[in-house]
Amino acid sequence: MSVNTPVDPSQFDIEAIDLSDRDFWAEPPAVRHAVFDKLRSERPFAFFDEPTMEGMEPGPGYWAVTRLADLDAISSQPAVFCSGQGAVSIQDIPADLSEFYGSMISMDDPRHARIRRIVAKTFTPRMLEQVVDSVVGIVDDVLAEARAKAEAGDGSLDVVADIAAPIPLRIICDMMGVPEEDRLLVLNASNTILSGGDPELTDEADPLTALLEAGMAMAELMGRLAAERIENPTDDLTTALVNSEVDGEKLTHQEIASFFILLLVAGNETTRTAIAQGLLALSENPEQRAAWMADPSMDKSAVEEIVRYVSPVTWMRRTATQDGEVNGHSFTEGDKFLLFYNAANRDPEAFENPHALDLSRGPNNHVGFGGHGPHFCLGAHLARRELAVTFRRLFEICPDLEITGEPARLRSSFVNGLKRLPARLTGQR
Amino acid sequence: MSRVQVDRERCVASGVCESLAPDVFEIDDDGVLQVHREEPTADELDGVRDAVQSCPARALALAE
Repeated sequence: MSVNTPVDPSQFDIEAIDLSDRDFWAEPPAVRHAVFDKLRSERPFAFFDEPTMEGMEPGPGYWAVTRLADLDAISSQPAVFCSGQGAVSIQDIPADLSEFYGSMISMDDPRHARIRRIVAKTFTPRMLEQVVDSVVGIVDDVLAEARAKAEAGDGSLDVVADIAAPIPLRIICDMMGVPEEDRLLVLNASNTILSGGDPELTDEADPLTALLEAGMAMAELMGRLAAERIENPTDDLTTALVNSEVDGEKLTHQEIASFFILLLVAGNETTRTAIAQGLLALSENPEQRAAWMADPSMDKSAVEEIVRYVSPVTWMRRTATQDGEVNGHSFTEGDKFLLFYNAANRDPEAFENPHALDLSRGPNNHVGFGGHGPHFCLGAHLARRELAVTFRRLFEICPDLEITGEPARLRSSFVNGLKRLPARLTGQR
Repeated sequence: MSRVQVDRERCVASGVCESLAPDVFEIDDDGVLQVHREEPTADELDGVRDAVQSCPARALALAE
């Protein structure tokens, strides 16, 4: 049975579903989607106990939000559903730690908006026009290197290591001004930070120490680059961070470090996931792949559909700041909500035939970059550009790319990542 | 005459409006949205309406 053969949601006992069970996130995608279908249709606000963490008191639990309309209602009321108590962790972790790894993702306005404005200009479509040539150059270099490596051997390659990882890594490191020799550190640290406890990428016995060490390594790199930029300013993002003022004050070293970590980690993991999972989805839908390959005017809708279908980031958290009601669901102050973008993006109320990959889908009001609200993905315009260029150039430079085996999936509830995806270049164009 | 209104408390300078109506909207160097023409021309209105609809922060309105 293919991992994508639809699974009948009715076979699951709703009382036995546990999204906090790590093993659930190792299930094949079709099983996970069927479970979310069941929750969405029968219990759209489903309550779960929090995952247990060594040495921590268990928290009060959380509501899993799976309908797009509910997710968007919560996302667009940031005063009622805040991010400042943690947006990327289910457990309440100390505020300084939460801010260190989440930066402005785990902040509320007005501070969130002030911090975001420092870099907002860099990520606008107008500014990105200026980097489009360098994006094409980087993509072409990476694909040429992948091709040369495969052809020097038996034609095989790893889509993740040879294509999906290096493209966003080089682009975001160029934008941040991270030199070549430090990029492996950035890749490894960002893998650890977003490992989600996957035993291959972190120390399962002591994930917190591994996380702290990765954060320290990034902070140390940032400190070194920041010192250089104060001496010799350039036009990169790191220079913008060290020179900017918020409320008349320069950002502290720790604030700069956490912003630096956010931009690098978010810039890497999400686009890598969209490229790798996107290529896998194309190989499972060869007629869609052929149609897109033949028609560059599909680039725009196809990129949106890949982001919807893949949903690289699985959830973000919000916390109620008061008692209230949302779409008929009553909640009390302190209640936690996990917004499941993967589930909302397969909501039949919002998308016709939601489990089908339809590269010409339109309208496509997905929440792959987040719902409405102040935390909408800062890098959305950049990601769209990277994805459009990557797939178009792939069709031109590696039209003979063929997926040859099952992917190794990241066991994480937070990122829908792949660790490896075996492929080969057949040489037949 | 239609008039563009910006809720400055909500705007996060996502630049979605700029991508849909580049002659009307621009994010400046300080990350602040500038509206070049508060009363868009007839040609610009479709793009502006699209921008109002698409703003992720729901910070735009068009008073018609």
